[in-house]
Amino acid sequence: MRTTVRRSLLPLGAALALAACEGRLGSRPGDNTNPAVRTDSGTPVGDGAAPSDAATPTPDAGEPMFPPFAPQAATLHRLTRAQFRNSVRELLGAAVNIPTDLELDTQLYGFATVGAASITVSPRAAEQFEAASYNVTAQVFNNPARRMALVGCAPSAADDACARGFIARFGRRAWRRPLEMAETERWVGVSRAAAGAYRDPNKGLEYVVAGMLQAPQFLFRVERGESVPSIPTMRRYTGYEMAARLSFLLWSSTPDDALLDAAGRGELDTAEGVRAQVRRLFADPRARTTLTAFFSEYFKLDRIGPQTRDRMLYPLYSPALVASMIQEFERIVGETAFGDGDLRDIFTTRTTFIDNNLARLYGIPGTFDATFRRYDWPANAPRAGVLTTAAFLTNNAHPVTTSPTHRGKFIRQFLLCQPIPPPPAGVTTDIPPPMPGVVQTFRQRLETLHLQPPACAACHTAMDPVGFGLEHYDAIGAYRTTDNTLPVDARGSLDGVDFRSGRELAEAVRNHRLLPGCIVRNMYRHATGHVEAESEAIVIRDVERAFSTQGYQFRVLIEALAASDGFRFAANGG
Amino acid sequence: MRRFRLDRRTVLKGLFGGAVVGVALPTLECMLDVNGEALAQGRPLPKRFGIWFWGNGVRRAHWTPNGTGPGWTPRGEMQPLIDAGLRDWFSPVTGCEIKTATHPHHSGMSGILTGARYHQLGTTRDTIVTTLPRQSIDQYVADHVMNDPMTRTAYRSIEAGVCRFHGTDEGTTFQHLSHNGPNNPNQSEYNPLTLFNRLFGMGSASQEAVARQSVLTAVQAEIRALQGRVSATDRTRLEQHFASVRAIEQRLGAPSGACAAPMRPLDGYPDMMGQEQIEQKNRVMSDIMALALACDLTRVFSVQFSTCGAGTVFWMVPGFRSGMHQTCHDERASADPATQQPMVHAATTFTMRQLAYFLGRLRDTPDGANNVLHNSAILCTSELSEGYNHTNDEFPILLAGRAGGRLRGGVHWRSGTRDNTSRALITLLRAFGHPAASYGVGPGESNAVIGELLA
Repeated sequence: MRTTVRRSLLPLGAALALAACEGRLGSRPGDNTNPAVRTDSGTPVGDGAAPSDAATPTPDAGEPMFPPFAPQAATLHRLTRAQFRNSVRELLGAAVNIPTDLELDTQLYGFATVGAASITVSPRAAEQFEAASYNVTAQVFNNPARRMALVGCAPSAADDACARGFIARFGRRAWRRPLEMAETERWVGVSRAAAGAYRDPNKGLEYVVAGMLQAPQFLFRVERGESVPSIPTMRRYTGYEMAARLSFLLWSSTPDDALLDAAGRGELDTAEGVRAQVRRLFADPRARTTLTAFFSEYFKLDRIGPQTRDRMLYPLYSPALVASMIQEFERIVGETAFGDGDLRDIFTTRTTFIDNNLARLYGIPGTFDATFRRYDWPANAPRAGVLTTAAFLTNNAHPVTTSPTHRGKFIRQFLLCQPIPPPPAGVTTDIPPPMPGVVQTFRQRLETLHLQPPACAACHTAMDPVGFGLEHYDAIGAYRTTDNTLPVDARGSLDGVDFRSGRELAEAVRNHRLLPGCIVRNMYRHATGHVEAESEAIVIRDVERAFSTQGYQFRVLIEALAASDGFRFAANGG
Repeated sequence: MRRFRLDRRTVLKGLFGGAVVGVALPTLECMLDVNGEALAQGRPLPKRFGIWFWGNGVRRAHWTPNGTGPGWTPRGEMQPLIDAGLRDWFSPVTGCEIKTATHPHHSGMSGILTGARYHQLGTTRDTIVTTLPRQSIDQYVADHVMNDPMTRTAYRSIEAGVCRFHGTDEGTTFQHLSHNGPNNPNQSEYNPLTLFNRLFGMGSASQEAVARQSVLTAVQAEIRALQGRVSATDRTRLEQHFASVRAIEQRLGAPSGACAAPMRPLDGYPDMMGQEQIEQKNRVMSDIMALALACDLTRVFSVQFSTCGAGTVFWMVPGFRSGMHQTCHDERASADPATQQPMVHAATTFTMRQLAYFLGRLRDTPDGANNVLHNSAILCTSELSEGYNHTNDEFPILLAGRAGGRLRGGVHWRSGTRDNTSRALITLLRAFGHPAASYGVGPGESNAVIGELLA
């Protein structure tokens, strides 16, 4: 049965408007043209024991067509740097200093969690993990009070009840599941060997802790799923695996006892049980830190640091200013995304947080110091929301100029999920210097260079005119009314919505019909550690639907995603 | 034959900026035969295989020497090597190209490190996401070295990096040099102090060794147990984890030799006044690497001076404001190739001065009757030829060192027929003594050794 595609529900529908860009703009998984079966996943799932009914077509005309849901294979996820750091602190105490000599994360598709699903432990990484394990363990065990706080008893032998009890308790937290009998015996053996070498049972436990942190069950999140008789076509993540999936998604850390207990009671085998835990985890401050970091990664803010700015043109630019920029961005997100409000308000909120560095950059009068303070932009101020923060504007600019192309491209590709192909091979992408004697704004030069030659205009038409809306902010985000002595022209149009300023552009982005689905798509990649297949498009659609019908609350997005089939089920085999 | 005398001062000279430091001698002295030509037991002196890599290529008009064979004269960008007295210690190979080229950075990197086309993981933003399709050539050699008990060393390989900026494309091809396999890189160490501590830090007390051993044994048992329960892909990933842990275990049992610590670097060489201390970092990294090789801690190494497509800011070049990659694109070419892109040219010349320091350090580090450079085979290369137009033909390659006498220095070999860059790789492998019949995959494969470069 073929049905009419209702464009508003196609997450990338607007791509069709940009089809002039060599016909490639907008291609994506799920954007298929020949689906064999029209299905609906029919959320929410009540009992949660079975995946959402993927076999029952719903006769709802005017829907796009999705292939039936099929999950991805389970795999090992190596801990990212942040996950390693947070997990060790969770296990050994917040006071532990974590060594920084650890491998860099491998980001794929914008997210370290996606890279973590394919990387392994190189010889150097094994050395680093070994050294880090002994370092953090010694911090605890060399301090009798901290050791007692961790172990909870004083072992009199390497394998007495105290030692065994601790090994079982610590193993469950570190490996995120109860130890098997053979595993416990193996680590009691380590305890005996180390305690024997030092003639000190505490040394035995110190080496057990350091060793368990080097084991694959700690360094990797091990996921295999389990067969559920009623669903022969796929595997369901076990309760303990779900506990880790949830805690790493929401806390970037190892599960707490309550989560492991819930797993042990079978509560995470159902979507409802998952939802209950998501609500608990979301209310914890760790969720705010972790999910705010998601937005920093989503906006690629780690790329500001290595960037340079011309010192003569931008004397305010410094590492300290960059650090302030990132903090402002994260505070705006943290303030806006975790209440009951609309997540999309991060693009329009007038509330921000300012320190002395930013006050200078933004030209805000008054006395500021290194402490961030809440600041509400006046209604007529030229700034509101994350697209007008120095962090976003600097990250998408060049050393000596702004970049309407990069700014527009980021909005298209990452906020609206409209991919833009690379420049054709052999094209020279440098921008020639201004012609002598001709005074032009950067916009005017780009209009000649990018928007007139047809080969360039095909794609640049989708990017530069969007980025022109942010021309009032220079390459480090300072406000300006002129460019090269001429008045700035920030007029433009985004898919039929006209704007005259950065704030109006931000408003158009906030209200764009593709924004919610694109945010969901990116969160889904980050959360699952893989790029969605076509057979998962329907899950993303369902999460988007829940998100958009419940006031675009961030908590709704996270809860719907975590309880979705795509997050709870894995493919057979592998 | 000259009788070998190991002069303590010769070892020390120049180490760590010339400071006289308390460094122990390389292990070899007592083990050499009377001529210093081989180890006393009749085993040959160690040979090393290395890579010295810089990103963004060269300016061809300033690179390709005039004349071929032994009678060539350098152009500007090789001049720093000549000035350092290294003319007879390396051979330029020009006129070759990557036969698997489709994307300048990714193809060049993969082609020159594996002789094969990159493994594409996907497409993102305005570029592609790739990893190397198989182990890089340094690890190919490391297999050979480590499989033989007579040549095995404490470290399978050592990777150092200098310029901190990483390429911006995603995927390990763009970020890292040495690879054990797809998505399995050996990240370079960028902090000299960390590298120092790793190689020359204190050894374990015996009781600590016993306890660490028991942990490593348990960790290996856990990996083996887990391997039985996961997918084939994950089994492969865990196999690497196992090998990595096993390598620690083997070092634990190995005698630490007579190589005691040289002087610690002062710090990790952070930026000063917003400027990267490139020259200082390169010097200290080179010094540490030279000593690690002299001490036979490893026979396989790589120095990633800068990553492929690196945005290094060569602030010491007048007018240089942007990152190197962007500057290669942006600096205007003029009609006269000899004068175009002066900033890119100056930055490349600066880079070659850093290579000259590295090679000079190996040459000045005694090794048996000769020196470490004499007993090394080193591929010096980049991921493309011209930064300006990102080409993969006319690939910049220098084969440095003499591979214990097997590799000829001071010869410019030029292909007139756009030969495969893998010819340089198989030549280097053979000079090193590797039995490979050919190197590379598909169109990147070559078995055609450049005979003129073998002695």
